[in-house]
Amino acid sequence: MSEATHTVKSYEEELQSLNKNIIKMGVSCEEALGKAIIAITTRDSENAETVIKNDEKIDKFETLIEQQVVNLIALRQPMAIDLRETVTALKISSDLERIGDLAKNISKRTLLLNENLPKNLVEALVRVSTNVQKQLKSVLDAYLDRSSSMAVNVWENDEQIDELTNLCMQEVIKYLKEHESNLDDGTHLLFVTKNIERIGDHTTNIAEQIYYLVEGEYLEGDRPKGTEPIVTGEK
Amino acid sequence: MKKNGVNMIKISAKNVDVFYGKKQALFNINLEIEENQVTALIGPSGCGKSTFLRCLNRMNDVIDICNVQGEIVINDFNINDKGCDVVRLREKIGMVFQKPNPFPKTLYENISYGPTIHGMAQSKQEMDEIVETSLKKAALWEEVKDRLHEPGTGLSGGQQQRLCIARAISVQPEVILMDEPCSALDPIATAQIEELIDELKKEHTIIIVTHSMAQAARVSQNTGFFHLGELIEHGSTDKIFKNPENNKTQDYITGRFG
Repeated sequence: MSEATHTVKSYEEELQSLNKNIIKMGVSCEEALGKAIIAITTRDSENAETVIKNDEKIDKFETLIEQQVVNLIALRQPMAIDLRETVTALKISSDLERIGDLAKNISKRTLLLNENLPKNLVEALVRVSTNVQKQLKSVLDAYLDRSSSMAVNVWENDEQIDELTNLCMQEVIKYLKEHESNLDDGTHLLFVTKNIERIGDHTTNIAEQIYYLVEGEYLEGDRPKGTEPIVTGEK
Repeated sequence: MKKNGVNMIKISAKNVDVFYGKKQALFNINLEIEENQVTALIGPSGCGKSTFLRCLNRMNDVIDICNVQGEIVINDFNINDKGCDVVRLREKIGMVFQKPNPFPKTLYENISYGPTIHGMAQSKQEMDEIVETSLKKAALWEEVKDRLHEPGTGLSGGQQQRLCIARAISVQPEVILMDEPCSALDPIATAQIEELIDELKKEHTIIIVTHSMAQAARVSQNTGFFHLGELIEHGSTDKIFKNPENNKTQDYITGRFG
């Protein structure tokens, strides 16, 4: 936001409220992801159920933010930095909503998984998810600080997540091949891994929005990409 | 007109200073106006945008204490030169004002006045054509074609303003200056004028002074922001309204000013 405040106070308040709601929604998503990861790695159903239950809260934030954005556009006709604040809020909220959904989906699968997962699989999952959680935290900090350089960092780090995702996928596929009885758990774990990676992608989207918000220009260049379709041994 | 994809420069103001007596109203304005484009001049009251607009057809000449320095080059000719024929200049550079100001004469005479004094019609038939074309271009013909010999002052505000635009374009000016042309009009009449501006830019270069940010954003391709007699920022309208370079511009257009 600009340093000077609006002549019309209620307009200023509306923009600040929008800003606060994005941050609150972001924090809710951070919590959801954190709990979802704890739930799957420590086999804790209670946390998984909380994530599923709380997703509604995140969805409500999205609706609220959408209404605020529509009101701002209709009633205030925001320009320049205010316009970018408004438009990016709308886009960020839809990425956050997806993050919430993905955390919820991880939790639903957690409830269906067998009690004893092989240690190496859990470790591989933790490696990806720790990274994604860091990314999500950094992107929310970047939004709070209006820092385009922090946003660029997040954007660049996505490549690492893609690599870790690949490694994790390979572990899961190995596990699937070990025994037919691993089919159910293995399939869930593939989706869980993919969901975590998708959360990383939404985080990268948010980083792009923050860059546009601060700089007024789009982040140029190819998006870092590490993911190639996984090839595993025999064909 | 475009050359190599770039719009040609129609008017070029170089180091323009304006004084009212001892008070300086404009400080070293350098501004290039693109041909066949709409340029909006915005800024708070008293920032000098109307003063600048009036420099472009030497309207400041009528104010005794006003002194304009610097060059304003239109078609490679500095209009501040002593040899400039001001009557010819104002034929080439028409003007529309804030309040519709039709002559207290018939609609027909309002339009025919300019072409008559500039000797643009050889016959009644030619003049009829000029009147009809001008009114059509001003999107007023259909509404007034049956009452051309009634007084222009009998029209509604929006119609009067379109009559004034028809009067301005009747002498085929290259440039049209508009000083808050819609501030006295309702939203529908405003929309009609804005639509007209869009049409007119095909044949004319338009410079509009407006207090409405939204209007500047809607009608113009380029925008200049004036503040305290200085041109703070000038650039493409979408850049100015999405991502202005200067903080003062941003504060003004977002309603954060002082």
